[in-house]
Amino acid sequence: MTEETVQQYAYKKENASFPFCKGCGHHHYVNHLDDALVKLNLDPKKVCIVSDIGCIGILDSLFATPHTFHTTHGRSTAFATGIELADGILNDSRMKTIVVIGDGGATIGLLHLVNAAMMNVDVTVLLANNFLYGMTGGQHSQFSPLDFVTPTTPAGNIVPPMDICSIVKTCGASFVRQAAATDKNLGNIIAEAIAHPGFALVEILELCTEWATPFNKIDGKMINGKIQYSESDSTPGRSDFSSLYKEKVLGAQKKNVDDTITPKFTSPLQGTRRIVLSGTAGEKVQLASFLFMKSAISSGLHATQKNDNPVTQGSGFSVSELCISSEEILYTGIDEPDAVIISSPEGLKEARANGTLSKCSTNTVVIAEQTLPEFECPGKVFRLPLRAICTGNRAALSALASLNVKKGWVSQEALVEMIDTKFKEKSLLYHRDIESLVPLITI
Amino acid sequence: MAIVMVENNEKTMNPSSIKIRTGNQMIAEGALHAGCQFFAGYPITPASGVYKAMIEQLPQRNGVAISAPDEISALAYCVGASGRGAKAMTASSGPGWSLMIETVQYALMTELPVVIALVQRLGPSTGGATQNGQADILFTEFCTSGGYTIPIFAPSTPQECFEVTTIAFKWAELLRTPVIILSDKEVGMMSEDVDFAQLKSSPAWYRKEFSTQNGKEHLTYDFQELADVPLFSPVGGNYKVTMTGSAHDKRGTLQKNSSETLDVLIHLQKKIEAHIEEMAIVRVDEQENADTLLLSFGITARTAKEAARRANAEGKKVRNANIITLFPIPETLLKEAARGVRRIVVAEENMTGQYRSVIQSLFAGKEIVGVNSVGKMITPGMIMEALV
Repeated sequence: MTEETVQQYAYKKENASFPFCKGCGHHHYVNHLDDALVKLNLDPKKVCIVSDIGCIGILDSLFATPHTFHTTHGRSTAFATGIELADGILNDSRMKTIVVIGDGGATIGLLHLVNAAMMNVDVTVLLANNFLYGMTGGQHSQFSPLDFVTPTTPAGNIVPPMDICSIVKTCGASFVRQAAATDKNLGNIIAEAIAHPGFALVEILELCTEWATPFNKIDGKMINGKIQYSESDSTPGRSDFSSLYKEKVLGAQKKNVDDTITPKFTSPLQGTRRIVLSGTAGEKVQLASFLFMKSAISSGLHATQKNDNPVTQGSGFSVSELCISSEEILYTGIDEPDAVIISSPEGLKEARANGTLSKCSTNTVVIAEQTLPEFECPGKVFRLPLRAICTGNRAALSALASLNVKKGWVSQEALVEMIDTKFKEKSLLYHRDIESLVPLITI
Repeated sequence: MAIVMVENNEKTMNPSSIKIRTGNQMIAEGALHAGCQFFAGYPITPASGVYKAMIEQLPQRNGVAISAPDEISALAYCVGASGRGAKAMTASSGPGWSLMIETVQYALMTELPVVIALVQRLGPSTGGATQNGQADILFTEFCTSGGYTIPIFAPSTPQECFEVTTIAFKWAELLRTPVIILSDKEVGMMSEDVDFAQLKSSPAWYRKEFSTQNGKEHLTYDFQELADVPLFSPVGGNYKVTMTGSAHDKRGTLQKNSSETLDVLIHLQKKIEAHIEEMAIVRVDEQENADTLLLSFGITARTAKEAARRANAEGKKVRNANIITLFPIPETLLKEAARGVRRIVVAEENMTGQYRSVIQSLFAGKEIVGVNSVGKMITPGMIMEALV
C-alpha cells in the first residue's frame, strides 16, 4: 500500500506570456486568480472559466488545465448559469464555474448578473473594472467615474458610475466584495468567493495604462479610496438555486391525469362540419367548444379547435372555431361555416370584424342572442333568448348542444356525458336549457 | 436517390390512444421522447405552450425546466447546459428569435447541440401575437454572420410536431449544431385529436463522445475530414475543453487566418452539407402524369393537400408535396417531385414567396408561381385558382 499524497494541481500555463499592456491591472488579476485556484487546489477538470469579451476575456488562453468557455459580450454569466444548472442539478455538482468579465460586459449583460444573483446560482463573477472599454479605443463605460476623460467624454464624464456591488446585493447576492487588483490579499478574496456556495461577485478595480492614466489623475491611492465593500459581506442561510431545485422541483411527481379519449360512441356524420362560437371572454365559449370537440372524438370523429381572444385574454370577445369530420381534417380554417353561434354583443362585433358573418352561406345556421341589434347575414338566422334562458355562461354550450339535437353531428349521448362529468349537479341547468331551446330551432 | 431518414421505431402502444393535443404540446412530447434534459423558456405567444408543457413534465422526469429572464438568457442557459453535456431546447417566436440570433451563432461556432422551436406569428416587430405567419423563413435561416446553413424542419400537424422534434434532436446531436423546428401559430396553438399509437419518431441519439481509447489527445474541435463531427467531451468531464465563439484552431485556441482556422470554419458548413440527403424529408402525394407540382409546408401543407385532392377530383393532374426539411434545401427530392411537371405552385403564408425565392433556381425551364397571403390563412380556394 502506498501512502496517499495530496497532489498539488497547477492551472496557469508555465511561462505564459501575458498579452496585456505594460502596467495593466489584468496581470495582477490573472495571477491572483491562479493563486486562488492553487490555494483551493481544485481538480482543474472540475473548474470552468467562462470568459467574456474584451481584454480580460482573452485570459482563458493563459490557463492550461481548467476548462475554458470564451463567450459573447456580456453573456458570460448567462452561459455560466446554464453550465452550473446542468452541473449542479443533472450532474454531481462538483464543478466550480467562474465568470471573467469586464465593466463593459457587466453593463451589456447586466440582466444576467442580476438574475444570477437573484437565483443565487453557484457561480463566481470576477469583474475587472478598469472604468472604460480598453480594447476598442478607451471609450468611457457606465462604470467611468464622474469627470473621467476618455475619447468619448472629452469634456469629462457627466453621468455617475454604476455601483454594481450595490445592484447585485439588492438582488440577493450572497457574497459581494471589492478590491484593487494590486491588493496582496486578492487571491484570498477570490478563493473565498469561489468556495462560497452560491452567487459571489468580486469587483476588481484596475488601471488601464493605455487609456485611463494618460488622460486622468488616477492612481492606486484613488482606487483604494473607491472601495466600499472591503469586508466579507456574505449572506448565509440561503440555498443556492441548484440545491433548492433538487429539493423542491426535481423529480416531484404530480398526478398526471389520463386524458385518453375512447371513441365509444358513434356518429352518422359523413364529411366535415365547421362551426364558429362567438361570445364574451369569461363566458365559457372556449370550454363549450372543447367539450363539443371531445364529444366528437368520443363519437369516432376527427376534430380541430382553435381559439381567439384579444391579447389581454380575460376581457372582450372570445371566439372558438371547430371542425369535426368523419375524415382526416386537412384545411383547418373556416371559409364557409355550417353553424355560427353568437351569444353576446362582443361576439357579434367580432363575428362582423373577423369576417365570419360574410363567410356564411344560405346553408349556414346562425343562432344569435335575441337582444342583439340586427345584422346582415345570408344564413338561416335564429334569434333566441339565449341569455334569458341560459345566462351568458351557459349560452354557447347550450345553444350548440341544442343545435346538435337537430343536426345529430356528434353523439348527443357523448355530449351529455361530457356535460354531466364536467358540471356535476349543475349539469341539470344545461339539460333544462336544451329542453327550452330545441323547440325554438325550427330546422 | 436520397435517403429519407424517417424511421418508425414506434413501439407498441395500445391500438388506439387518442388525446387532444396542440402542436406546441406535441413538440414538448417529442422533446421528452428524444431525451431532452434541459429546457429554458421565456413567455411568448404563440410558443408559450411548449414552455408550459416542458415545465410541467420535464422535472418529473429528472430534467431541468427553468424560466429565464429574457430570450437571450434562455438560449444561453441551454447552450451552457449543452456544454456540460445536456440535451437542451428552448422555444420562442419572431420577437424572441430576434434576441437569440447572437447566441445561436455562438452555438453554431462552438459546435454545441441545441434545438430551438420557433412558432411563427405575424411580423414585423411585435406584429400580431395571435395571428399566423410563415414569413420568418429567410429571417430564421439567414441569421448568421458568415452565412452558415442551419437545419430547419417544418411540421404541419401535431403528429409531425412530435416526429420533427425527435428528428431535430437527432441532427443537433449528431452534427453538433443548432437545429430549428419552424412551426407556426396555427400548427402550434390548434388542438386536435392525436392518436399516440400512430406517432412516428426518430430513435434518440446522443452526440458521439471522445474517449482516450482511440489513443489521441483530446482537441475540442478535432476532425480528420472537413465534414467530420468532432467527438464531444463536456466541460467538467475528464478532458480539458476549450470553447470559444471566436475563430479558432482545432484545439480551440483563438487565431487569426491560419489555414487550420479557416479549415475549422469551412468544416462548420461541410459537416452539414455532407448530410443533406439524409436530412431531406419531402412527403409526396403521388400523382402519375402530373403536370403541376404543388409545394408547401407548415399549416399551408394541410390546405394544399385538400386543394390538390379537390383539383384531382375535378380531373386535374396535381402532385402535392409537403416539405418538412426546409434547410438544407432538399434539392434531390424536390427535383424528383417535379419530374414531368411543367408548372410548380408554391403556397406559403408570406408576402413575397420566401421559400419559392430560394428554390426556384432548381426548376429551370418550368413555370413557377406562388400563392401567398399576409395575416390570413391561405384557403383551398386560393390554391385551386392557381392550379390552372
